[in-house]
Amino acid sequence: MLDALDKSLLKTVADLEGLPKGAYNIRKNGKLLSRQVSANINIESNAEGTGIIVKIKSGTKNESVHIPVILSQAGLYDVVYNSFIIGDDAEVTIIAGCGIHCGSSEPEGHAGIHDFQVGKRAKVTYVEKHYASGDGKGRRTLNPTTKVFLDEGAHAEMELTQISGVDEANRLNEAVLGPDSLLLIMERVLTDGEQTAVSQNNIVLKGAGSRANMISRSVMKGNSRQTFYATMDAQNKCFGHIECDAIIMDNGTNETMPSLKAGHPDAELTHEASIGKIASDQLTKLMSLGLTYDQAVNRIIQGFLK
Amino acid sequence: MLELKNLYFTVQESDGISGVRRNIIDAMNFTFEKGKFYAITGPNGSGKTTLAKLIMGINPVSQGTIVFDGQDVTRLTITERAKAGIAYSFQQPARFKGITFRDLLTIATGIEDENKLLAMLSRVGICPLSFLDKEVDAKLSGGEIKKIELAITIAANPKMAIYDEPDTGIDLWTIGPMVSLLKKELAENRTTTLVISHNKAFLEAADVILIIDAGKIVYHGNLKGALPLLDDLSVCTYRDSCEGDRDAGCFR
Repeated sequence: MLDALDKSLLKTVADLEGLPKGAYNIRKNGKLLSRQVSANINIESNAEGTGIIVKIKSGTKNESVHIPVILSQAGLYDVVYNSFIIGDDAEVTIIAGCGIHCGSSEPEGHAGIHDFQVGKRAKVTYVEKHYASGDGKGRRTLNPTTKVFLDEGAHAEMELTQISGVDEANRLNEAVLGPDSLLLIMERVLTDGEQTAVSQNNIVLKGAGSRANMISRSVMKGNSRQTFYATMDAQNKCFGHIECDAIIMDNGTNETMPSLKAGHPDAELTHEASIGKIASDQLTKLMSLGLTYDQAVNRIIQGFLK
Repeated sequence: MLELKNLYFTVQESDGISGVRRNIIDAMNFTFEKGKFYAITGPNGSGKTTLAKLIMGINPVSQGTIVFDGQDVTRLTITERAKAGIAYSFQQPARFKGITFRDLLTIATGIEDENKLLAMLSRVGICPLSFLDKEVDAKLSGGEIKKIELAITIAANPKMAIYDEPDTGIDLWTIGPMVSLLKKELAENRTTTLVISHNKAFLEAADVILIIDAGKIVYHGNLKGALPLLDDLSVCTYRDSCEGDRDAGCFR
């Protein structure tokens, strides 16, 4: 059912060797390839047939669900709408990801539009990896959207990674935080050659005691370009922090625009941003431990994007 | 084991117009012997750190020669000198996002095995176990990062270890154990040890004191002989803050 290419893409984007344990939904070239539900996690196609609805029962503990997408059909632009409804007090890990293999000159692309309703005190970890490969010259596009709604006391931790090979990416992350909820976003993007990536993040701290921390790490190699927008909109007593660092290699360019809006007198918002080449004291230190210049550069980038 | 032969490090004066050149290290000659403990002291700006960076290959030698273990290393890169057995513990250690103490230990030693890393940590002594998976980033305190820096230098098993003001930010209770640790490493591995410091504890522990002033070695010998000169040089630039406290614990 899974061919060698499928397996290789799944390994890269979802760390899967073959089919996963527990609930999963694997989509290949715009169609369902394989699905499994569990006692606590139900997956069904939505009424329009444009995606899936994943429902996690209240009180579910330590379960995971894999929903990878693989694309290897020339000329296909696959759009999918997925909804995640996470019951109160549930704890779950969702592993998404999209691997594109492009073997021709036709473009291929995927837009995953994901919304999350996270119930009271529920904890969700969302891991998403994007990767493209293949010898073909066709343009590979990935335009993911995530919308997160956190109910009272909910926690969401999101790891969003674009590894390599994606020519064009337009990401949109939106979140609305309820009282005492917590959102942690870690975004890592590596671009090379003529690739471009844009990331837009709009985080609304609506409930009292809500907290958000957005960390973005960008590396631009070759002539690639990245643009990062992040807005924290504080509407209550809350805490928000944006940390965005970009390392320029070769002739890469970057624009970073963190924005803080305090609409409440007790809002605490901070940001730190940096753009630049690898710091020379870091290189010198690693070389003084015996690494060559190139090895030191690779090790620093590897750590930065870890 | 390390010879400095007529060594210069020369820079253009900062105004850039007059073309005046200044020797930060000025015709320095000295031989460091294997397995000895050297304390290098002298006023701020006298050239101590510059000398350490010349030995490690971070600053390029303007003129003269550095011979290490019989090999001319003057034109070798930092990496080559590290591989030849020189290690340098920075005065202001680099901070990294996403690189842990464990990662740096592994880079320095090639060891990944958990038990061997733990054994290494107990050998180094001054770093608690909880440091191992800490990122070596801006969240570490000044003292914590200096302990980590020193531990990595020891772990690399160098033939020659240079510690640049290892006591900066270190609490009083750790300086004694730090001195003992360096002496133990020296006794067990015959590590030639150079410590740049103004701290009494290091000056007392050293076999040889070197005083550097204006890029020259103005004294080498035992501590007793160095004391009058240290006084003359008014090495202390911190007297205002400690108000000349008799027990300030240093010969600054």
